[in-house]
Amino acid sequence: MSGGIARGRLAEERKAWRKNHPHGFVAKPETLADGTVNLMIWHCTIPGKQGTDWEGGYFPLTLHFSEDYPSKPPKCKFPQGFFHPNVYPSGTVCLSILNEDSGWRPAITVKQILVGIQDLLDQPNPADPAQTDGYHLFIQDPTEYKRRVRLQAKQYPPIV
Amino acid sequence: MAAGAEAEADEEELEPLFDYSRVQPTMAFSFDDTDIEKSDIFVHCNKRRKVADGDGDANADEKGDKGEQKAAKAAAVVDLGEEDWLPPPPPPKPKSTVTDESEQSSVLKELRYKPVHGSILLQKQAMAKFAESADDFLEKLAQTARQKVEARIPTEHIDLDKSPERHEAREKVVVTVQDKAGHHQFRLYKDEKFGKLFRAYAKKVNLSVADLTFAFDGDKVDAESTPEDLGLEDEDMVEVLHKTR
Repeated sequence: MSGGIARGRLAEERKAWRKNHPHGFVAKPETLADGTVNLMIWHCTIPGKQGTDWEGGYFPLTLHFSEDYPSKPPKCKFPQGFFHPNVYPSGTVCLSILNEDSGWRPAITVKQILVGIQDLLDQPNPADPAQTDGYHLFIQDPTEYKRRVRLQAKQYPPIV
Repeated sequence: MAAGAEAEADEEELEPLFDYSRVQPTMAFSFDDTDIEKSDIFVHCNKRRKVADGDGDANADEKGDKGEQKAAKAAAVVDLGEEDWLPPPPPPKPKSTVTDESEQSSVLKELRYKPVHGSILLQKQAMAKFAESADDFLEKLAQTARQKVEARIPTEHIDLDKSPERHEAREKVVVTVQDKAGHHQFRLYKDEKFGKLFRAYAKKVNLSVADLTFAFDGDKVDAESTPEDLGLEDEDMVEVLHKTR
């Protein structure tokens, strides 16, 4: 039954997204080889914010929803090895609003998740590091950190 | 308000031996049959008395009966234990008042869910003050609310074909085109090529189609494809990206 709740909510989220979403963002449920749609996995794109070192990058993010959604938050993953102090080596994003035990509320929408992650890109939280590479450069070598961020933005050019 | 004043007056006359004010709502109540009609709990009935007095004694008698019944009921409760008595339920309201209130609440509810305009809020406050003449206010309010909704400027629709009577069987779809500045809505046939929409948009924003890229769900929209091909639904959003040169 709980799966019904998750899918119902996700169908609503998708409907709302099609009608309105922030510019440059993409969020669509996975389409399987046979053409059926899997609402439990969404492929998204987060544009780097204008005026930051992340500008120009269109970063792919996958949302994995569980049957317990929206009681539990989705797992949000960038590609493996994504450079950011608050992204685990696996690509999983570490963000308070995505943590079941701290900031997650069932009312948080997909739109809010994606905008929240976009904010996180340029505003890492040094109190909660998830990878050594990004964290150490951010703390110890801001110039090199900047260079790496810009380099990564170039690695993810707009798809269209 | 009148009830409060009367309650105070009664309290002065019959000061209770013990102070129950902390556990009981301050509501003066007399068990004396003769006083029951003057008691504040029947203040709602008193409203009607004006009419009753003019009309004759029949109504007044009825009320008297009611009052006695109430008193009997209350007395019965009191018998069970003096410390546990509860004030009797409020007297039944005149029917007209009840419907008024339900009307009022439904209109208020409606207003609450409409876009809140400052003026409506003010009017709401005013209405609360003049609850007696609520009907007039409500009518006015409903009117202004309706006007406001009608006056709201609708999102601009651009009909790409001005001779719709030729193809009545063809289905149309409204497409929202989003650029960094905002939204534009276009209406086109589901089997019509996007190229037409692109040109209409480019003309509107004074740019060349060649400099623009259109995307739906992160995929480039081909000028030769149609809304049907992409499975577009009404008001689906197509994004415009400016090509970087």
